[in-house]
Amino acid sequence: MSVTQHISDNCKEISIAIDERFDFSLHQQFRDAYIKCEEQGAQFVIDLSKTHYMDSSALGMILLLKDHAEKLSGNVIINRPTDAVNKILEIAQFHRLMTIER
Amino acid sequence: MSKINAKLALVVDDSVMQCKVLSVLLKEEGYRVFTANDGARAVSMYIKYQPDLVLMDINMPVMNGYEATREIKALSKNSLCPLIFITSMDSDQAFIEAIEAGGDGILVRPFSPDVFKAKIKSIQRISDLYCQVKSLQLEQQKDAELAEQLMSRVIESRNYALDKIGIVKQPAALFSGDIQLTAACPDGNINVLLGDFTGHGLRSSVGAIPLSETFRAMTRKGFSLIDIVSQINRQLYQLLPADLFLSAAFVSLSVSEQSVFVFNAGLPEVYHYDAQGEIVEKISSDHPPLGVLPELLSDAQVEVRSVNDGERIILISDGIVEARNSVGDMYEYERFELAASDGIRAGKVIENIMASVQDFCENQPQEDDISIVDLPCSGWEQINRNLHRIDVPINDSYVFDSSVPPSWSWQLSLTGSRLRNTNTIPLVMSQISEIEGQAEHWQNLFTVMTELYVNALDHGVLQLSSDLKSSPEGFAEYFRERELRLARLEEGYVNLSIRYFAAENGGCVVVTIKDSGNGFDPEPFQLENDHEKLQALSGRGIGLVEQLCESLEYKEGGSLVEACYVWRND
Repeated sequence: MSVTQHISDNCKEISIAIDERFDFSLHQQFRDAYIKCEEQGAQFVIDLSKTHYMDSSALGMILLLKDHAEKLSGNVIINRPTDAVNKILEIAQFHRLMTIER
Repeated sequence: MSKINAKLALVVDDSVMQCKVLSVLLKEEGYRVFTANDGARAVSMYIKYQPDLVLMDINMPVMNGYEATREIKALSKNSLCPLIFITSMDSDQAFIEAIEAGGDGILVRPFSPDVFKAKIKSIQRISDLYCQVKSLQLEQQKDAELAEQLMSRVIESRNYALDKIGIVKQPAALFSGDIQLTAACPDGNINVLLGDFTGHGLRSSVGAIPLSETFRAMTRKGFSLIDIVSQINRQLYQLLPADLFLSAAFVSLSVSEQSVFVFNAGLPEVYHYDAQGEIVEKISSDHPPLGVLPELLSDAQVEVRSVNDGERIILISDGIVEARNSVGDMYEYERFELAASDGIRAGKVIENIMASVQDFCENQPQEDDISIVDLPCSGWEQINRNLHRIDVPINDSYVFDSSVPPSWSWQLSLTGSRLRNTNTIPLVMSQISEIEGQAEHWQNLFTVMTELYVNALDHGVLQLSSDLKSSPEGFAEYFRERELRLARLEEGYVNLSIRYFAAENGGCVVVTIKDSGNGFDPEPFQLENDHEKLQALSGRGIGLVEQLCESLEYKEGGSLVEACYVWRND
């Protein structure tokens, strides 16, 4: 499984871990991992600690998640991006849009 | 079923009896049937009739069924004409050979008429599906080609100065998600954009048309770089779905000020190289890609840098640094930087970089679009000359009579914080073209008004000294100070008025600009020697205005200027 999802007991925290590659092929899996969560104030954590490649469609997918989170007055946190992925996030200046925890 | 629309079947068997039996069954299914009694004859019948179905025996004289099948399949590469072997050879070997020769199925005797008909139906269903997919694919291909043609006509064909700006566009798919635009501002500045839409293919190029239209229209009207960027951001945010956005770097080269303005939103670092191929600076992205946020971030700002002769600005998208070789290594920034340096020293920037990428990747398939824009910072004087054609002085008999009332006049007074609006002159120009229509020489008038307005604002209202520009860091320093003072501006004014006088075969526009400043020492402007005068004036960028105008006069200690611009229609 390239996308692993974990939901906390109170349904408030959804953690989504991505495998080695985060690209367009994960589109459906990534969406499935969060779309059913309708919990107000939910926090979505994207764990990128194993991800070594990310393309611009992955950035787009994160923005869709951000839209979803904002509708629930929740937020998105990017967790432990690897150096390669962090470089891509930095170029796209994603820290201006959401929290990135290194 | 009418005879004309009936499907054609070709039955191949050396036994006349077998041919007849199969023909009867096929006719019951609505086929028209031709028969051949050996493989060679089957091939020539196939060529002649182009049937929809072939039934093939294996053992035949002259040419056997396998051989005939190979030839027929070679002839029908782009269409699926289903071919079924009919045989009594019930062996694995026969089955394997039949499929390998290109057969789509095999039916072993004996079989009942119903089993035969069922087999024909199933194979026909597959073939119909194949035809449907094929024609859809063809249609899509045609649409895509048309759209691609349209796109490249709208976009690339209208780029400016392609003989001077080096551009590489190597798409990974038929449509490129990357876009390169160049356009000239009315005052001769060059605006360049390299953009990378999310993904590639048709989906990623839908934003290209609105993007290029906005970029060109606003550049042509003389809007400042930050205004162009914010408008494009707003437009893409409204047009595109949330996961589709544009990473882009914008560069505006000011030839007269020897400066570049750079805005990098989500693209790799913008390279500034000197004439020896050394990196002067890399300007990294400091804004999220465009189309992500409804408005630009409040601290969004354009970087300003001085540039010297022989220097270049090079833009790349991530496709080049992420290009892979056969062992999966990426091309990376270091290789690019070396190739660019060598290229600059050899005078072949683009060629050198592309050769290096090719050497590295060998024949690996390209995963992402590869784009480079190479913008030389000097040598534009020749190319820009056409922009400011100085017309022959109009004939002496034309006398501008100021006692005649103008055809129309228009005026604008801006005060305090409203002076921060950078679009004053485009606004004025749009008034003029609203009333008088588009004309090529408005470009000269744009230059005249921009120079005079900027002087009134910078030196009059903001009290900036031109001396700032003479330091080596020059214009960049000046620009920063200007931004600072503009942001704090609470009082002061600039009044601008236009009087338009129509004449028989031309006309005259008198521009008057008055500012709240203290004026300036008019001493240098009263020099006897024309050359000296121009030299002194150049500090205020007035040299060009003088050349373009019939007359230029400073009054009220320099806080009021009146310029008279005259043209003649040929």
